[in-house]
Amino acid sequence: MRRGMTRTRSGVRAPSPRGFVTIGRAVAVPAARASVVVAVVTVALLVAAAVATLSLGRLGLSLADLAGALTRGAEGKQAFVLERLRGPRLVVAVGVGAALGLSGALFQTVTRNPLGSPDVIGLGAGAGAGAAAVALLLPGALPASAGALAGGAAAMVLVHASTGTGFRDPGRLIVAGIGVHAIATAFTQYVVYAVERDKATVLTAYVNGSLAARSWEHAATIWIVLLAVVPLVALASRRLGVSELGDELAAGLGAEPRSTRAVAVTLSVVLSAGAVAVAGPVAFIALTAPQIARRLTGGPGPHLTLAALVGALLLTLADLAAQQSPIPGNLPVGVYTLAVGGLYLGYLLTREWRKGSL
Amino acid sequence: MEKGKPLSTQAVPRETGLGTRGVTISYGGAPVVRDVSLDIPDGELTMIIGPNGCGKSTLLKGLARVLRPDLGRVLLHGRDIWSYRGRDAARHVALLPQNPIAPEGVDVRGLVRRGRYPHHTLLRQWSPDDEAAIGFALERTGLDQLAGARASELSGGQRQRAWIAMVLAQQTDLLLLDEPTTFLDIAHQYDLLELCRELHRDGKTIVAVLHDLNQAARFASHLIVMKQGRAVAQGPPAEVLTPRLVEEVFGLACDVVPDPRTSTPMVVPHPRTPAAG
Repeated sequence: MRRGMTRTRSGVRAPSPRGFVTIGRAVAVPAARASVVVAVVTVALLVAAAVATLSLGRLGLSLADLAGALTRGAEGKQAFVLERLRGPRLVVAVGVGAALGLSGALFQTVTRNPLGSPDVIGLGAGAGAGAAAVALLLPGALPASAGALAGGAAAMVLVHASTGTGFRDPGRLIVAGIGVHAIATAFTQYVVYAVERDKATVLTAYVNGSLAARSWEHAATIWIVLLAVVPLVALASRRLGVSELGDELAAGLGAEPRSTRAVAVTLSVVLSAGAVAVAGPVAFIALTAPQIARRLTGGPGPHLTLAALVGALLLTLADLAAQQSPIPGNLPVGVYTLAVGGLYLGYLLTREWRKGSL
Repeated sequence: MEKGKPLSTQAVPRETGLGTRGVTISYGGAPVVRDVSLDIPDGELTMIIGPNGCGKSTLLKGLARVLRPDLGRVLLHGRDIWSYRGRDAARHVALLPQNPIAPEGVDVRGLVRRGRYPHHTLLRQWSPDDEAAIGFALERTGLDQLAGARASELSGGQRQRAWIAMVLAQQTDLLLLDEPTTFLDIAHQYDLLELCRELHRDGKTIVAVLHDLNQAARFASHLIVMKQGRAVAQGPPAEVLTPRLVEEVFGLACDVVPDPRTSTPMVVPHPRTPAAG
């Protein structure tokens, strides 16, 4: 210690810090090597999945056509596939996946539990119910995103009030969340049957989530939400990291844990609502992406950037599967994530139960 | 108990320290700390003792700017501690609570590094003083060899020292410890108390909530005794810890004899005779 101190005191340059990205003396942001490696690999896989999405299948562009279309512009059938059919859908998938991953990471950090996730505790379902209510009961009066926001927020207020302990106790949170999830889903089904009676596709869009027939408008919505929320998440990220130490220690360090939690939950609701407004409540991306990010790096959280990247990759892959699967009738992407994510949820529940935290 | 001269055994409070003025703090609706006015003497190793539920931990959290008083003020350097921004107060006062949580996967150095939070900003999450502060904290707590170990792999005694290292890295003048020995076996309890004494000798002002009267009497240079939310006595252990006080505050009949090793007061409870039972 003495050596270190005299060195800095005597003005000799301190070694550049390991595990940080520095710009001059003013900026030093943590970036652990493992996280950087995982992020680079995830982005590479995401690019590969995007190329596959555009080039596979009967309507897909060959790699050469794709390169040409991207550099010189596309014409005819290629333009239709790229600009109408698959392009916007891909951009929506990446944006929605990132929003859900980030939303999940925020909520899981606040609740300090992998199961304290928007899709488990009814945030997604609530947003879906809100979107369905606005779109079907009051068509044209309000944008679906406003309904999703109101529905998601209402669901979280309900969960928060009915646990009696806020978001702290994971057991109560999950029980209350399952209840709210069920109520929200039932409400959505009621609205859809009341208005659209026989349209199964409309129902799945609001209950399972779907990326079929997305437009550039959808893409713009989710990316505007991301652009607005991500800087705020970045501002809160340092406090979120400290709040993992428990409320009292975080307060002792000056990190104001209560307001940090309120900010994180609000941002998480906005992200989920944005995602649900354009793609419906796609299940389990928010649950799994932060957990995968955590396991890949092995270090302490909150892994916000990585959760967003992994979420984008997961949803892009799921939608690739949905588009290319041999199952007739084009199952919506939410059915795929539900099936795979359900297994993971079962695993998590068993593990938490064994640990005794449920 | 020292009525009429509650502060008589204490040096005139200095402007620079930490203190309370008529502080009342409630917890779940009921006042737990009632109208407490006291000064934490600078440079002393203060220990707060009292029966369960007397409000000693609550008072400590009030002093640490974790719980906000309903009435009265906590003063830091003569100013209300709630008029500081959280991070600014955290550069003067550090709190180690009873149940801190080690984030999954964190190593000892990473844990200690979190104590540097109040010295950083969003864009500058590293400062040249960090290495020195973290190195000092690890060395002082004897953890330099374990800096790379996962926090989850440490023994109870090592983990508690890691938390102490974390608050040391915060580089504050004041260190508040909430029952730091609770989950340790007796040898590690004494290890930790010796560490507190060394830090006190280094010049830290330390306030610790402690359960064990004899440990408090042996290690504290200043005692604060609490009962039902009020500070009922304070001063050097030799003056404060009398049979009458222990009887009145804890309801325990006892003798107070000099500790054979250190001559500090030692509480020896009377055996309860069958007739009295």
